Order: sequence, then structure tokens, then C-alpha cells
Amino acid sequence: MTTSIQPALVRVDGLQVHFPIRRGLLRRQVGAVRAVDGVSFRIDRGRTLGLVGESGCGKTTVGRSILRLIEPTAGRVEVAGRDVTAVKAAELRALRRRMQIVFQDPYGSLNPRMTVRSILEEGLLIHRLGDAADRLRRMQAALDRTGMPAAALDRYPHEFSGGQRQRIAIARALVLEPEFVALDEPISALDVSIQAQVLNLLVELRDRLGLTYLFISHDLAAVEYVADEVAVMYLGRIVEQAAAGELRRAPLHPYTVALFSAVPTVDPRRRRRRVLLPGDVPSPARPPGGCRFHPRCPLAEQACRELDPPATQIDRHVVHCHVAARLLAESGGDARRAAERLAAAVAAADGGGVG
Amino acid sequence: MPLFEIRDLVTAFHTTDGRVPAVDGVSLSIDRGRTLGLVGESGCGKSVTAMSILRLVAAPGRIETGSILLDSPAGPVDLVTLPDSDLRRVRGGRIGMIFQEPMTSLNPVFTVGDQIAEAVLLHRACSRGAARARALEMLRLVRLADPEQRLDEYPHQLSGGMRQRVMIAMALACEPDLVVADEPTTALDVTIQAQILDLLGDLRRRLGTAILLITHDLGVVAETCDEVAVMYAGRIVERAPADVLFARPLHPYTIGLLAARPDPDAAGRAPLRTIPGMVPAPQRFPVGCRFHPRCGHARAAATPEGPACEAPAPELLEVEPGHFVRCHYAERLGEPHPAAVEVRFA
Repeated sequence: MTTSIQPALVRVDGLQVHFPIRRGLLRRQVGAVRAVDGVSFRIDRGRTLGLVGESGCGKTTVGRSILRLIEPTAGRVEVAGRDVTAVKAAELRALRRRMQIVFQDPYGSLNPRMTVRSILEEGLLIHRLGDAADRLRRMQAALDRTGMPAAALDRYPHEFSGGQRQRIAIARALVLEPEFVALDEPISALDVSIQAQVLNLLVELRDRLGLTYLFISHDLAAVEYVADEVAVMYLGRIVEQAAAGELRRAPLHPYTVALFSAVPTVDPRRRRRRVLLPGDVPSPARPPGGCRFHPRCPLAEQACRELDPPATQIDRHVVHCHVAARLLAESGGDARRAAERLAAAVAAADGGGVG
Repeated sequence: MPLFEIRDLVTAFHTTDGRVPAVDGVSLSIDRGRTLGLVGESGCGKSVTAMSILRLVAAPGRIETGSILLDSPAGPVDLVTLPDSDLRRVRGGRIGMIFQEPMTSLNPVFTVGDQIAEAVLLHRACSRGAARARALEMLRLVRLADPEQRLDEYPHQLSGGMRQRVMIAMALACEPDLVVADEPTTALDVTIQAQILDLLGDLRRRLGTAILLITHDLGVVAETCDEVAVMYAGRIVERAPADVLFARPLHPYTIGLLAARPDPDAAGRAPLRTIPGMVPAPQRFPVGCRFHPRCGHARAAATPEGPACEAPAPELLEVEPGHFVRCHYAERLGEPHPAAVEVRFA
């Protein structure tokens, strides 16, 4: 989607992940949950892509498919030039050393019966990295980088707080010295005062070690703080993607407008007219035809019900929306002006909104 | 007196580790039709406060001292000492409750309609038919789509947002004077949260219900509450009208919480302000000011301006009309924390 001379570290093309729905005695497949249904993006080395969206939009499945923790149904995932979806088991294992993941729940993702030492050492042993002394040195370095004392090695996860556990999970990802880390809601389970500590740590590690992140979160402010670019997902698709600040200042998709307006803020200067979307997110087993957002969209037109909107791109800002495409064309490709007109149209259509 | 008042509530758990005072001297009050936000992080005691109100704290927890007063035509009644049979009439009658996870608070084997009707039958002398009609009326009131059809559905057939609407319908079915809502939107997506907060605000305006809203989300409080109480380590550390608290936070903990969130308008990517250390467990609440081990302003020894922060414990003092702070130095911290300037918009 973006152009640069340097090859992207992570490149995802037309990714689809469909989970079969089986029913009856013979467990015949009667349908599929289209969790991810045609997602493409790239992340350049040392950059961070934020992936936002509400529960069930497919953002977590995207993260897991990149590491092939979930088998993609179709599409291509390249990490460091290798096609993750096509490599054999041995090569996948070698590749996994270069890509790691940190999960949301530090209570569920660390085995309570393993010491921190065995949690950190497991990956080193699997990848046959170094002798005992070397492994210890690597483990101590990883703990040190995440602000944990080396004494933590001989303790168990339950002896630590949520924030400390998430530091241990980050140390486990870092001990293999990966290039790419998928961060799946890494701060959502933490208290507000601890979230800032972990966000600072993630940014510092990325800048110091040159890491590349996929930062998956429903927290728009946290994503904007960490990410260079942000992609918004809805029902298995990316509906809009832009530079982090640009997305907030000039959202071009009505869903992005509603999403930002719904975030409660303590600052009345930033309080927006709340756009209330009707109803719930439809089931990904039966996504609506045409634009998937049209049943909840305040601006839906005839075309939205019939045609899947193609990508419209202005510089690095990509949007999938018939209305935005028309407004962009009418504004001569000025994304800011188109965004202003879109916001006004959403406000006018959404009469029931609150101030 | 106000509609509802808690005075010096102490709720403690008696465990093998000894006595754990999760709520340690909390006082607050709510007037008719007003919304009070009770904010704090996990373990601060906000949910135990909520559970104490209706005496739902399970053993080994126990309300030790204090009173919980609900104003009534015959004068205030103390829910702490009220006989069980009378308390049952208050629960779901004059005080409704909404919990965080609607799936675990709704009964999976009864239909939505039956559950709301049951609440009505418990508190009103009416027929089954009238109770069912009331249930349908409530589902319409909370703007649930296809209410006639939903009446005969089970909780698992509904989405999270729809279940929370059903919880609200049930809590409001008997026209309570007060609704205690414990993290009512925390399990919901942000666009669904917006729908539910809008609904609560609308119902409050139309029915005149007072709300005690318990949450960890300062943004939710800022957008829905008239008054705010911030809890830390079992105590209220600051209390003020919402506009005053967010314009002029005075307790270093409140200031720290507000500054810890990323500010999209901040230039560049300066590291976020953090509160060092972690929230203390109730078994190990520090002595003196309970926030002092994490406080950048803590004074190790007494100064001409005030005592040491390690002892004695500060009182909750009124520093301007309606604005209470529990800090020896709240008004003498000099220039506000640089990051706090970002959230001040006076």
C-alpha cells in the first residue's frame, strides 16, 4: 500500500481466515465464520502498524495468522522475505525465532507451574541457542531490558503483579532477539497507572532494538501513541488506513468517525459530538453484502448495499467507502476537506446523537 | 438529608493473612437524580463499597462499622442494620443494581421476560400478566430492538450490548430511587458503550433516578457524572464536582492518573508520565498517607508547612466549596505537575 525502497519486513496480501461451522451427526460444514476476509498491509522495518477495531473484527486473528499460530485459509504472509504460509515445519520454527508475540492476558499466557527461568529458557532450548552460561546471560539481559531484576528467574508468575507479568511476557518474546513482535492488546488487562509504564517500555525497546511491531488494540489513544500508521478493521476487513495522527484528524470512513467520537474523554476541548451507531456488529458468519458497514452506516446509499467499495487512496491514506470516494473526488483529492464534509454529513444524518 | 449517604464505612475480610480492610472509612452522599462516579484501580475497594451497599459482601467479608443511609418518608433507614426481610424489599426495589458482566448476572435458564417480570412480582402486588406487560414496557424503554420477540428469548441469544440493556431494564423495572452500576460498560465495545451511556443518561433525565457509577475509566466519569470520588487503597482521596475535579485535580494520585493517558495533542512522543510502583494490596496498605510510597511530592520528614507523609494519615479536608482532598500538601505543591497542565483547561 505504501512505497519505499527498503523491502517491508512484514507483508500481508489478501489474508483470509475462515473458521468452518460444522453441524449435525456427520459434522458437515454448513458455513464459515469469515474472521479475516481479505486483509492486506505491509510494515517496514523499525515501524509500528496499529490495528484497531472492536471485538470480533478479526484483529487478533490477523496477528496470530502472521505467526501461523492459526492457519490462514488463503492469502500470503511474508516475514523477512519468507512466505510464512508456505514454509515447512523446520523452516517455520527457524522463522518463529525472528517473530514473537505478546498476549493480552498476562495471567493466562504464563504457565503458573513454570518458573520465570523455565518460561524464558524454553524458547532458547527449542532453538538450541548457546550453552547454559550463554542462555543465562541472554535471560538476564532480557529481564534487565524489561526492568525486571535477575532474581525474578527463580520465582513463579503468581508472585508478580499484572504489570510485572506483562514485563515477563515481553522478556520471553525478547529473549530470542526477534525482529518482529505482534503485541495483542498488551495493556488492556492492566490498571491505568501501569499501562503508561508498559507503553513507555514498549516504545523504548522498539527504538533501542530497532524492533518492528504490529500493535493490536481497541484503545485508540494508546495505538496512536505507539504506532506510525493505523489500520481500522470492521468485520474481517480493513476499512481505513492512514498515518496515526492523520486518522484521528481526518477520518474518511464513517465507522472511523463513529469510533473516535465514542471514546469518552476527560478533556471537553476534545469531546466530539457522539455518533451513535444503531444495532450491533453483524455476525462474521453472515456478513452483509455490499459494504459490510452499510446496515449501521448513517450515510449508506443504494451503491453501499450493492457494491463492495474498492480502495481509494490519497497519499498514504486508504479508505474503502463509496461516499468518501465521492467526497474525495469532489474535493480534488484534499483529504482534510473531504473529511470535514464527511463529518458534517455524518452529524446531519445522525439526528439522534448526543452533544 | 441527601437521598443516600454512606458514613465511615469499613468493610474487612478476615482471612488466614489476618484482617484485610478493603474499604477503610468511606463516606459519600448522593442527592436525588444525581450521578456520582466512584473511580479507582483494581483493589482500591470501589466494588466492595458497591457490594456493601446491599449487604452482598460474602464471608469472610463483613461490614464492621459505619452506616449506609437511605432516605425514606419515615426518615432515613440504615441498610447496615436493617432486618433481612426489609432489606430484600430495598434490593431491586428502591435500589437497583447493574453489574459488569451481564452474562453471569442473568440466569441462563429463564427467558429475559420472566427474569424482569420476577423482579416486578417480588416488589409489586400485581398479576403475572401485568408483570409481563411491565417487562415489555421496560424492554421498549431501554430501546431493545424487537422487544416482543426478545421477551421470550434466553440471555445466550443476545449480544453483550443487548444483555446489558436487559440488566438495565431489570434494575429500573421497579422505579428505584438509586441505581448502583458497577463497571456497566467495561465489558462492552466502545461504540456499544456509547449507546449504553447515552441510554443511562436519558433514563436518568426521564425517571429522575440517582446513579452511583463505579468505573476505572475517567473519561466515562467526565462525560456522565455530576460528582466524582477517587478511591485509592480503601479510602476516598479526592472528591469534587466533575467539572472542578477535571479542571483542578489536587491529589497527586488524581493528577497522576489523568497524566498517565497518552495525550494525542502532545507534541512529539515524549515518554508518558507514569505513577511509579504498583497499587498496594489491601493486606499491605502503607501507613500514613497510603499513596506516599508512589508519590513524587512525598515529604520524608515534617516541614514547616506540614507533617511527614509517612505519618500521620491525612484527613479528607474541604479545600474549596465541595472539593475534598486527602493530602497534607494538596494546596502547597507549588506549580502543578508539568503533565497535569495538559489536562487542565481552566
